[in-house]
Formats: sequence, structure tokens, C-alpha cells
Amino acid sequence: MIRKIISGNEAVATAVKLARVGLTGIYPITPQTSIIEKLAEMKAQGEIQTEIVRVESEHSAMAATYGAALAGIRAFTATASQGLLYMHEMVWWVAGSRVPVVMVVGTRAVGAPWNIWNEHTDFTSERDSGWIMAFASNPQEALDLTIQAFRISEDERVFLPVMVGMDGFILSHTKTNVLIPDQEQIDDYLPPRRQPYVIDPEDPVEIGNMFPPEGYMKLRESIHLALKNSEDIIRQHGREYNKKVSPMIDYSTLNSSYRLEDADYAVVLMGAWAGDAMEAIDVLREKGIKIGMLRVRYLRPWSEKEIRENLEGKKGVLVLDRSTSFGRGGPLYIEVKSTIRDTEVKDIVTGLGGVTVGKSDMIYLFSKFVEGIKEDVTWYYPKEVGKLDVRTPRDIE
Amino acid sequence: MSLLLDYQYFPITKPGKGAGGKTGSWRVVKPVVDLSKCIGCKACFMFCPESTIVPKGGKVTVDYEYCKGCGVCSNVCPVKAISMVSET
Repeated sequence: MIRKIISGNEAVATAVKLARVGLTGIYPITPQTSIIEKLAEMKAQGEIQTEIVRVESEHSAMAATYGAALAGIRAFTATASQGLLYMHEMVWWVAGSRVPVVMVVGTRAVGAPWNIWNEHTDFTSERDSGWIMAFASNPQEALDLTIQAFRISEDERVFLPVMVGMDGFILSHTKTNVLIPDQEQIDDYLPPRRQPYVIDPEDPVEIGNMFPPEGYMKLRESIHLALKNSEDIIRQHGREYNKKVSPMIDYSTLNSSYRLEDADYAVVLMGAWAGDAMEAIDVLREKGIKIGMLRVRYLRPWSEKEIRENLEGKKGVLVLDRSTSFGRGGPLYIEVKSTIRDTEVKDIVTGLGGVTVGKSDMIYLFSKFVEGIKEDVTWYYPKEVGKLDVRTPRDIE
Repeated sequence: MSLLLDYQYFPITKPGKGAGGKTGSWRVVKPVVDLSKCIGCKACFMFCPESTIVPKGGKVTVDYEYCKGCGVCSNVCPVKAISMVSET
């Protein structure tokens, strides 16, 4: 193991190298571009054997990756924002085909209007597609989760693609200390690829053909059951990762908690701003407010068991959402609210389109929540927002 | 490959004759090959738009499950070995 100061994108590229990926379908989109730049650099220097396929769009990037995966090669791609939405059709095809693929999403706002900064809407909008969805909160976790993603995806009890989310710019471009495992450790952890079927001229199979209604529904149920069953499998592979590779971050649970055992109030969130929240919690604890945090690491499978164990019985639960489901609040809020009973759940939607929410904002929000906020869903702006220079139809006249 | 778990289904099939191309109950005439006349030139095999002519032992037979009864084979046969017989 060596320690290196690298960005989240470099950490992901390193994970791809360690996993001995056979093919990457690449198309650049901010903030994911430097993953594929790094991979191309590694390829040019002969560090990796990965076949790098340059394509003309994200749709084709996923299609190329899908094709390679069907042929039995470990395949990887990365995307973000509009690119993920452009890929949307292929994302469903991959999950429906039950073929192991790993993708990293550097999360970013979705237009219109044009915005390159960070939020989670692109990621959460794919939550019904049948992919397993992990979300990292620091570059170390981005590396670890990407390696684990291959293991989970290729497990015969799962056989589903895995998406690893990572906050665009906040993680993707910020350099921190990352512990990089040795190749031998990963070779020990990650066995050769397994998949349910391969394209083989000697033993042909038909893929993408028409299925009658009953057959189709049966297949959908099979995805549902595989995703539900993957919960224990993720824990199992997490424990194995802790044992064989690195015990630094505990992967034996689907979600990570902070000072939650004795807490009266709980905060639920996902992603990199967990760091700010932890600092805010420390400050409030000193003031005598018993508050803790639950960070969702896996949006799919959604561990109802863990969420109930951790949150039920609290005086109140506050969900911080960096994405929206318009007219309903945040997707995370909807998930939490539908899981726990007898506990008050409030939602704050903030941080959209790169709006910075830091420690002081968190302290303000958490203390306001403990005092008791009335609305179920609140939109929070960190600074006093001035009159926006937005054109209205009247101006154009 | 061993797929051991009862909940695991995959959206694949083995290649075979498509059920969608099967002839329904609507065919009115069918080709009947007179094997004593057939010279095995396979002109009918070449021209059949549904690929229902099956070469067999130097001569030909017809796959009636998929034959639509269009009569092309009967028309191209140089020795008039295929006759269209009414089915109704």
C-alpha cells in the first residue's frame, strides 16, 4: 500500500487500473473528463492493457461498454449530468440485460439552464433503472467503492451493473491523501470475471429479442429480487474488502453513521458534504444538542433494515437533499419518509447547481431544525439572494 | 454456466425458428412435391421468400409450419414437380 495525494478522478482511474479492466468506452464530459484523460495517459505509458474506445457520444460510450461486457470483458465507463441523461436508454438496456458493468458518475447539475457545478439530480434520476447505486464521500471511498463495484456486479447472486456516484468538482478535482492498494491485494480480492452469458459464435444466444408480456414481467421481478438480495452480498464483499485490502473505512454496512447511537435528532444525507455535517454536529454536541448523522452510501439497494434501526425512535429526522423531485421535495426525503414510521421527517433542499453549503450553514440549519421547523420541505439559500437578473416575458416586450 | 438461484432469469433465448413467422390458419393452397419428378436442382429453394424449402437427400421437401402458399416454388420449377393443392 502506498499513500498518494490525488484527486477523486485519479483515484477512480487507479481503481480501474487495479481492477484490470479490459475495455473503457470513453466520451468526455465535465467533471468526469480527467478520469478518461488519466486512463488514456496510463495507456500511453503502457501501465494498463485496457482497450480505450473513443466514441461520438455518451449513448455510444455506454453501448460500446455494454457490447464489450456481453463479450465477456470487464468493462467500465464514466459520465456526468447531460451525458448520463443522454445515456439513459442504454443504462436501462444494460440493467435489463443483467450484464455486469461499472460506471462512475461525477454528479453535476442538469440543464436548462447550463450549469456545470455539483448537485445529485443526474444520479438520483437513474434510481429506478435497476442499477446498484453507491455514492462516495471522499476520493478514498471513490477508489474503494469502484473496486468493490466490480466484485458486487460480477457476483452470481447479483449480475447487475453498478453505478458509483461522486460529487463533481468537490471530489473529482480536489486532491487529498488516498491509500492505494497493491495490485496483489486487489488480485486476491477480485476473482476473474463471471457473467451469466457471453456472445460466442460457437454457442450463439439471442439478445435484445422480443419477449411476451408474462416473460417480460418475470424478468423485471428477477431484477427486483436480485437488487433486494444484493444488500447482504454488498455487506459480505465489504467485510472481505476490509479484511483483504484495507480496514481504514468500515464497509460492513450499507450506510455510515456518525455519533448516532445516543442522538435525539438525526440528519440523513449523501455525499461529500457529510464532512461539513460532521463538523457541525461536533459544534452542536458541545452546545449540548444530541444530534447524529446517517450518511447513505447505497441509494440502491435501499436498506430499509439499517435505516429503521438507525432512525426509528429519534425525536426528529432531517434530510438534506442535493437533488429534487419537483413538487415533492428531495428523492432522499421521499425514500426516508416512506421507510420510517412514527418519526417526524423534515427535508431541506439546498446546494443545487453548485450552491455552497458549508459548516456554518449546517450549524444554522441543524439548530433551526432542533428548535422545530414547520414546513415539510424547505428550500434553503445560504446567502441573502439579491434580485436575480432573469429575463421575464415582459422584459422582452 | 451454472445459474443456480431460483430468482435469476436472463433476457436471452437460444436461436431457433421464430414463433412470429409461423403460418396461421389462413393458407388456402399448399405446394406438394412429386419426388419422382424432382431433379434436385434447388431452384425452389433459391426462390422461396420464406425459406421453407428444405433440401433433403438430393431432393426437396416443404416446411408447412412456415409455408404461406404463395406458389413461387411451383412457378420456378423447371420440371413441374411442384403442384399447388387446395387446402379448403
